[in-house]
Amino acid sequence: MSCHQYEAFHSRRAFIAQSGLGLGSAALASLFPRDLLAASAPSVSPSLPLSVSPSSASGLHFPPKAKRVICLFQSGGPSHLDLLDEKPLLSARFNEDLPDSVRRGQRITGMVASQARLAVQPSKFAFQPGGQCGTRISDLLPHTRDIADDICVLRSLHTEAINHDPAITFFQSGSQLPGRPSMGAWVDYGLGRLSDNLPAFVVLVSVNAKRSGQGLLARLWGNGFLPSAHQGVQFRSAGEPVLYLNDPEGLTRARRRAMLDGIGELNRLQHAQSGDPEVETRIAQFELAYRMQASVPELMDLKGESAATLESYGPDAQTPGSFARNCLLARRLAERGVRFIQLYHRDWDHHGGLHDSLPHIAKDVDQPSAALVRDLKQRGLLDDTLVIWGGEFGRTPYAQGDAHREKYGRDHHGKAFSIWMAGAGIKPGTTYGASDDFGFNVAEHPVHIHDLQATILHQLGIDHERLTYRFQGRQFRLTDVHGHVVKGILT
Amino acid sequence: MIPLRFVLLSLLAAFMAGPLLRAAEPIDFNRQILPILSDACFHCHGPDGATREAKLRLDQRDGLFRTHDEVTVVTPGHPEKSELFLRITSKEEDEVMPPPKATRRLKSAEIELLKTWIASGAKWSGHWAYEAPRRPAVPGGLEEREKEKSPPLPPNPIDAFVHATLSKQGLSPAPAAAPATLLRRVSLDLTGVPPSAVELEAFLADPSPGSYERAVDRLLASPRYGERWAWDWLDLARYADTNGFQGDPERTMWPWRDWVVNALNANMPYDQFTIEQLAGDLLPDATRDQKLASGFHRNNMFNGEGGRIAEETRVENVFDRVETTATVWMGLTFTCARCHDHKFDPIKQTDYFALYDIFNQMSETGSASGGGGRSGAIVPVLDLSTPAEAEAVQRAQAGIDAVAKEIEVFELTKFPRAEGKPVIDSPTAQKLPGNLPATHARPAVNRRDLNGLLEALPFFRDTEPDPEYVKLLQKHIAAIRVRERAANNITKVMIMDELPKKRDTFVLSKGNYESKTDVKVLGALPEIFRPTQAAAASPSENPARLNRLDLAQWLVSPGNPLGARTAVNRAWQAFFGTGIVKTPEDFGVQSGSPSHPELLDWLATEYVASGWDTKKLHRLIVTSATYRQSSRVTPALHERDPENRLLARGPRHRLPSWMLRDQALAAAGLLVEQRGGPSVKPYQPAGIWEEATFGKKSYQQDHGEALYRRSLYVFWRRIVGPTSFFDAGARQVCTVKVPHTNTPLHALVTLNDPAFVEAARVMAQRALKGPARTDSARLDAVFRGATARLPSAQEKFILLSRLAQLRTQFGATPVEAHQLAGVGEFERPESIPVVEHAAWTALCSLILNLDEALSKE
Repeated sequence: MSCHQYEAFHSRRAFIAQSGLGLGSAALASLFPRDLLAASAPSVSPSLPLSVSPSSASGLHFPPKAKRVICLFQSGGPSHLDLLDEKPLLSARFNEDLPDSVRRGQRITGMVASQARLAVQPSKFAFQPGGQCGTRISDLLPHTRDIADDICVLRSLHTEAINHDPAITFFQSGSQLPGRPSMGAWVDYGLGRLSDNLPAFVVLVSVNAKRSGQGLLARLWGNGFLPSAHQGVQFRSAGEPVLYLNDPEGLTRARRRAMLDGIGELNRLQHAQSGDPEVETRIAQFELAYRMQASVPELMDLKGESAATLESYGPDAQTPGSFARNCLLARRLAERGVRFIQLYHRDWDHHGGLHDSLPHIAKDVDQPSAALVRDLKQRGLLDDTLVIWGGEFGRTPYAQGDAHREKYGRDHHGKAFSIWMAGAGIKPGTTYGASDDFGFNVAEHPVHIHDLQATILHQLGIDHERLTYRFQGRQFRLTDVHGHVVKGILT
Repeated sequence: MIPLRFVLLSLLAAFMAGPLLRAAEPIDFNRQILPILSDACFHCHGPDGATREAKLRLDQRDGLFRTHDEVTVVTPGHPEKSELFLRITSKEEDEVMPPPKATRRLKSAEIELLKTWIASGAKWSGHWAYEAPRRPAVPGGLEEREKEKSPPLPPNPIDAFVHATLSKQGLSPAPAAAPATLLRRVSLDLTGVPPSAVELEAFLADPSPGSYERAVDRLLASPRYGERWAWDWLDLARYADTNGFQGDPERTMWPWRDWVVNALNANMPYDQFTIEQLAGDLLPDATRDQKLASGFHRNNMFNGEGGRIAEETRVENVFDRVETTATVWMGLTFTCARCHDHKFDPIKQTDYFALYDIFNQMSETGSASGGGGRSGAIVPVLDLSTPAEAEAVQRAQAGIDAVAKEIEVFELTKFPRAEGKPVIDSPTAQKLPGNLPATHARPAVNRRDLNGLLEALPFFRDTEPDPEYVKLLQKHIAAIRVRERAANNITKVMIMDELPKKRDTFVLSKGNYESKTDVKVLGALPEIFRPTQAAAASPSENPARLNRLDLAQWLVSPGNPLGARTAVNRAWQAFFGTGIVKTPEDFGVQSGSPSHPELLDWLATEYVASGWDTKKLHRLIVTSATYRQSSRVTPALHERDPENRLLARGPRHRLPSWMLRDQALAAAGLLVEQRGGPSVKPYQPAGIWEEATFGKKSYQQDHGEALYRRSLYVFWRRIVGPTSFFDAGARQVCTVKVPHTNTPLHALVTLNDPAFVEAARVMAQRALKGPARTDSARLDAVFRGATARLPSAQEKFILLSRLAQLRTQFGATPVEAHQLAGVGEFERPESIPVVEHAAWTALCSLILNLDEALSKE
């Protein structure tokens, strides 16, 4: 972990203060997270319309292409070699030792460190070209292959982390160590809310129906050292989507309204007494809570979706806790102004039995992911929605245990792996970067996790070096002191 | 609307710039100049040798005033002969500093200030925090002023310092808060629980001098005091009941938590409190309690993820111990120096690893096994179990071994294979799906774990049925569960120890556990704090190698300029919302400058002189007129000092969420004041743990009294903390400051969490069963339970009209009235009519959610 970047000495506040005079008023409002704004400027009505059209938001660092992000995170480390990055050489050199010239002494996990040899393991799954562009994608992802013309497949991602927790933390927060704000929190901090009725950063977690996957920690969508108002709000799949969203039994909406009116009246008297503007913020937040009690159930209710739409997301579209339902909810969240929509699907960690488990989980996510991109496109939302699909790392080109044509497992691998992106100024129908013939190291156009993060912020109109927060005496940012925007994938 | 925001922004900016612009006073290098140099120059001309430009160092006196090639950086009295000034004012792109590629620009006010500083003689001093606090004289005139007050207050040096700053700013202190407000404030601050009706009435009935001080003494002596103050300590000690990371296994650290509560209640001097927690195990003839205290540095998270490299975990744990120690006792951000010399503070990477060496000598290996007891306990541990409990575990293990033998025999035919080979070698085992080959067929039978067995069971029951084998698997699972239960009864607390043969410590390049450099380091103090004669020796040549006990003793010795300052600053923060140093985690060059630097040093020296008497310190603070002020604020004062740094008014902020729960329980008369023991599991929505642990942990809610214990005792699963709390420390890494935010999610907790709704319901039933007979009298009682005061006529009118409305509404729907009046497990007397009970429940919930009830007034 490194520290400081002198060039990054612009706090977000300073940035606003300096460029503020040139800003459109709506953009300025949107630059302030509402909670902070309300806290420092009590006279701002909580019901101001805050929608920002990209053209008026010229006060951002760049003209933004994306108004929102949907990150379809595949937790556990999907095998790039069996899904997005075809490697015929692995088949040709089946069960040979991985050449030292490829491994170059790089570290491997404790799980295979004691293995006598690292035997080259080909994929048993065939790849075919998709769309007009002909991007080759595995038979495990036929629907994704069908939208090949809408997406950009990046095959040169790399990360330093080799175990799940640090790697996911790195992907989400730019640091392997816990405690930094997550991407969504940074975006909320930088851009603020678009919706009056929903939080800016929403998280949906799903599991494979047959098997559970690796655990996920709430800190992955934490605010780190940013004010806690920026933390992701997990909409849960079972029970209440937001903790304590439902009124207690017996307390109807009318009674709740009567109570809140009473609280409001008394709090206004209290405000007159104490003079503390925080009281006014409290009144506003209680009112927002009340609105969320209506807006969140409405959001989660799929009754209004057409049969065709439901069908497009696949058979699980209405199953609570499924990735398919979460994809559909992601579109609904996008429509309702949520800024950063973070999905997690678990169970990509196939050390053994990959041949058996991978088809199931690929099936979980393939159709819904493709349907989401199509659905967004059809509704005109893909132009300003950035979609990212991928996990914390890939998997090894050598077998964990013995190599086998049909039955095999693969270990964690961060030196090279693949993801795909779509929408909001990402070149559709393309691929970017390449791994070597073994899929072990990056061969061309490396994209580090910090580069990916810089690019995500860039599409939102934010210079990743200038969105900073002062903590423990220094300016922190999502990309630490690293990161370059991956210009090659931008339109 | 929008222009107003600009107005506010610019006013805010003007206020913040205030200290810069008051140039009539002599310039204070530390407060006014150093922050500018640090922020604008130190990145390239500071302590980090690796990135230093032009060999120029501005963080030290020599560099700042050096003359090189006839160019002088700063010539006192002569800005025009000072290269520093010429560079910052240059119009030439290749000359101007900071350089154009840096986005940091000096503001004209800052340039002006630097100019004035040089012109007036360029007085220099080191950063205040690295120098030992010197006891300042208490500003005079205090006694006279206090005598004029009615009633006169005993003079308190805190007020002298605060008032001196206020009068410089042309401000005067606020009048005292109303007695009831004050008693609620001080009761919450000292004990975390509001005053009872009896306590309140006794206090209001006693206007004699010293009645407040007597109340303070009563609160300080209450066992609730230790429970309240333990919370903040647990946050910085990253205390939790589980290890964190995947699987998040349980640990038993609550005996350590109880040690903290007891030590605080016994008013253990802070130096002893420090030494026992950092190195109790190393004290001569260490007692069991002293060893237990050393559990402080076992509270860190522990990553036992499968495939984890043990050494990586071990190294990260040592990092955590170094950084936590530096934050708590030195207020320095050592984390930066893990990878390189600090950019702003004179902390070298070798300083970091010199502390690392001190914490590198524990027997922990990084492997998550061997602790016994709950799965999360990792050696070294202190065994607090009874012989019977230990024997039960041995018996349970023998039970597992017996079942394993039976299974082994059965599997010889079920999975035919060569003798002596594991099941996995059998061709029949090859076709097992999913994780079964790895978790079921590979390990030795008596080492198979529960999760693997739980996955195997449905396969052999439903997919490839083998009833006889299923019976054996079920027997195996049952035996493992018996052992788990027995092991859970064993109380083993993780503590520190010291290896007989020390590990060598090398600086790790970029802090990577694999990248040892050849720079060997021995345990030592950071160079800036070493006694001067030793400072010349490089760490590797220094024959003395400090251990944990040496370090602990030094941290609370006069040699550490920050030991007392960090402690009194945290106390100040707890009472006033913000510390005298706003950044309690950082007292370094980049820290927020102290609002009252002299007061900070006076308090620090007073604390040490008192023998590190924490209760005395707290008493001193809460008996000051500053603390006793009304918190009422005018718009003008709020605009002038929104954060109340100057203390022209009393503190006012939302109570911590854990205290809100305790307050609600106390107001309802539900609070069960049983002290210490294993953590409890009160109400929590279904499925929270399951969702976070992929179904491996399920929450078994407690019943009865456990539901109403203080928040301190609520079980803390690290990966998903208790749902009733918000804005709480995450208990993952050391936290010395928690935020006070205001979000809609918080409103949902206090409005809808069954803990709060039940408290409202029980408040209502007590009011209805109590001595009061009229609505008005009942309202007085419940309102006072939440706010410590009676409602005004206007407030009463509003509340009684709401009550009437709620009565009508519930009267029309008795079923719903039944539902609301039945929330929670506490008994409801059937004699109370449900409609009446429901209406009052809603009213009590309303009162508990008033801003005043949620805030410390």
